[in-house]
Amino acid sequence: MSTKKDIIDRCRANIRERLIRPTLTDLNPTVYDDPLEKFISQAQVMGCRVERAKSTDEVDAIIKKVYPDAKIVASSLPYVKSASLNPDTVPDAQALNGVDVGVIRAEFGVAENGSVWVMQKVKERDVCFISENLVAVMPEHVVSNMHEAYGEVSFNDYGYGVFIAGPSKTADIAQVLVMGAQAARSMTLILIPDL
Amino acid sequence: MSTSHSIAAKKFLENQTYATWHDKTFWGVRAKRDKLAFELPEWERLRDKASAIKRHTLTNIDMYLEMFSEAAEKNGVEVHWAKDAQEFNEIVFNILKSHNAKKLVKSKSMLTEECRMNPYLEERGIEVVETDLGERILQLDHQDPSHIVMPATHLSHDDVGEIFERELNTEKGNHDPTYLTYMARLSLRDEFLTADAGMTGANFGIAATGDIVVCTNEGNADMSTSVPKLQIAAIGLEKIIPDYEALSVFVRLLARSATGQPSTVYTSHFRKARPGADKMHIVIVDNGRSQWLGDPQHWESLKCIRCGACMNTCPVYRWSGGYSYSYFIPGPIGINLGMLRNPKEYSGNVSACTLCLSCQCVCPAKVDLGTQIYKWRQALDSYGVANKEKKMMVKGMDMIFDHLSVYNAATACAHFLNGMGPLVNNGLNPWAYAHKMMKFPKKPFHKQFEDMEKNEK
Ligand code: SF4
Repeated sequence: MSTKKDIIDRCRANIRERLIRPTLTDLNPTVYDDPLEKFISQAQVMGCRVERAKSTDEVDAIIKKVYPDAKIVASSLPYVKSASLNPDTVPDAQALNGVDVGVIRAEFGVAENGSVWVMQKVKERDVCFISENLVAVMPEHVVSNMHEAYGEVSFNDYGYGVFIAGPSKTADIAQVLVMGAQAARSMTLILIPDL
Repeated sequence: MSTSHSIAAKKFLENQTYATWHDKTFWGVRAKRDKLAFELPEWERLRDKASAIKRHTLTNIDMYLEMFSEAAEKNGVEVHWAKDAQEFNEIVFNILKSHNAKKLVKSKSMLTEECRMNPYLEERGIEVVETDLGERILQLDHQDPSHIVMPATHLSHDDVGEIFERELNTEKGNHDPTYLTYMARLSLRDEFLTADAGMTGANFGIAATGDIVVCTNEGNADMSTSVPKLQIAAIGLEKIIPDYEALSVFVRLLARSATGQPSTVYTSHFRKARPGADKMHIVIVDNGRSQWLGDPQHWESLKCIRCGACMNTCPVYRWSGGYSYSYFIPGPIGINLGMLRNPKEYSGNVSACTLCLSCQCVCPAKVDLGTQIYKWRQALDSYGVANKEKKMMVKGMDMIFDHLSVYNAATACAHFLNGMGPLVNNGLNPWAYAHKMMKFPKKPFHKQFEDMEKNEK
C-alpha cells in the first residue's frame, strides 16, 4: 500500500511553480438591501413554505395547520409538544423511519439561495432527511451570500453541518422536476424574530 | 480514417428525432445556467477567483494534502492513501471486510466510476447500491453514466418506466416521472435502512478543517451516511481546497453552472463519525493526478470541479451523446482527462470538438478546455495516431499558407470551384463528410477590402 509520503512526494516533485493565493477583497459580491425579504422569496422559489411566528408557543399550531394529517412528529426541541419521538433518545437512526414531520432548528438563512444552516444538535441527524416533511424553526437572521454565510457557520462536537435549500428534489427522469427524491418531500420554515 | 467518436456519433445521429431532443434538453440546462449566472454582476470575477484559487491550491497541493489529512485525523477520521485504482478498490474492500459489511449504499461519485469500484466489490460479495436516482436507474439497467451530473438524462421516461416495471415491479404502463420517482424512493428507503456502510464522493475537501463537502439535490449522500454505521468518503487529491473562504467561491459557482440552481438542496459538511457509529474513513486517491500536475500544457485540467457545464454547452456533446466518447467522462473535460490518462487509447475523442470554445467560456474554474484539445491535436502525430489523409492535406495547406503568392493566386481562383462542388466535396476529402460545400466569392476578401478602402477615400 502507498503511504502518505509517497503520494505527497510525487506531487511535490511535479509542482513547477508555486502560485500565490488571490484575495477576495475586490470580488464585491452582491448584497441585498433587505436580505430577509430576498431570503423568503428565494426559499419559496426553492420550494419552501415560509411561516412567521411571534414566539415558539405558536410552533405546534403551525405544524398542525401545515401538516394536518401528520401522525408521528419527531423533535428534540422542548417547545414542540406534539413530538412523540426524540432524535436524541431514539435507539438508532432506523427508528426515525416513518416520521411524518421532523422539526429542527436552523441557525440562519442565506438570501442568495434560500438555504438555511443546520448544525447537528441531536444524536440522530437523519431526522433532517428521513422525515417525510421537514420543519426548520429559525431566527430572523439572514446573510446576503455564501461568503458571509461561511463567516457565520459554526460547528459543535458532532462535527456535522449542512445548508438545506428546500425539499429534496430530482430531475433525473426526463428532466421533469419532482419534489421528494430520497429525503424530505416538503420543507416549512418558521421564522421567529428573537429565537 | 474516421475517429472512434465520429463513428459513434454517426450512429447517434441516425435517429434525428432523438438527437434533436437530446440537443434541446442539454441546451435547456445551458440556458438555465446563463440566467442564473447573469443574475450576479460578480459572476466573471467569481470565475477568475475560482481559477486562481485552484491554481494556487494545485501548485501547493503537497502542503494542503498535509493540512487536510492532519485536520481529518484530528477529527478522529482514518485517512488512507491510494496511488491508483487498484489500491483504492483494495482499501475500500478491506475497510468493508474488517467491519463485516455486506451492503454498501453510495452517492454518486465519478471517482468510483474511474476506479471501477462497483464491479470490484461485487465480485467479492459486496452488494453495492447506487442511491442517486439517475445512477440507480443505470445500475438497474447495467448502463454507464452518459453525463457526469445528469447521468441518465439520455433516457426518456418511457425507458425508465420499462426498466422499473422489470426491476422494481412498478405498475405496467405508468411512466409518470413523479410516480416513478416515488417508487424508487420506496425501494431505496429499504436499502438505506438495511445497509452496513455508506459511501460518498467529495465535491470538496477542506484543508483547514478536514471536512468532506458533498453537494446533492436528492439528499442521498446524507441518507447514505446518517443511517448505516460505517462511513467512507472517496476523494481525488485535486479536490482539496484551502478553507471556507475558498469554498464560498466554489459553492456559488457549482450549482449555478451545473443545473442553473442558486445552490444544490444539500451542501453537507462531514467532519466526524456520528455518535455511536464506527470510525469514519477518507480515502485520498492519486491515480495519475500527481503526474498530470507536472504536465506544463495540461495540468490546469485538474482545476475542474465536475459541474458538467462544458458538456451541456458543447454542440458536439449535444449532437452525439455521452456514449460516443470512449473515455468514461464525456464532453470537453472528458476528452482532456482521457488524453491525460492514456493518449493512445483515448485519442479517438479529440476530433469531437469544433473549437468553438463555448466550453471555456462557461467553465466556472476557467479550464481552457478547447485550447487544450487543440494542443492535444497538434501532438497526435507524436502518438502515431494522426489522421493520415488529413495530414497530407495539411501539408498541402502549409505550402499554400506559407507562400503568400501561392495563397493569393489560390484565393483569386477559388470561385472556379463553385461549380465543381462534387469534385471537392467527395469521399476523398475527409473534411467534406457532413460539411456543406461553401460558396467562394468571385473577389477574394483581400481584394474586397482593398476596394472598400478605395471607395471610402
Ligand atoms: S471543465 Fe469546467 S465546465 Fe467542464 S465539468 Fe469541469 S468545471 Fe465544469
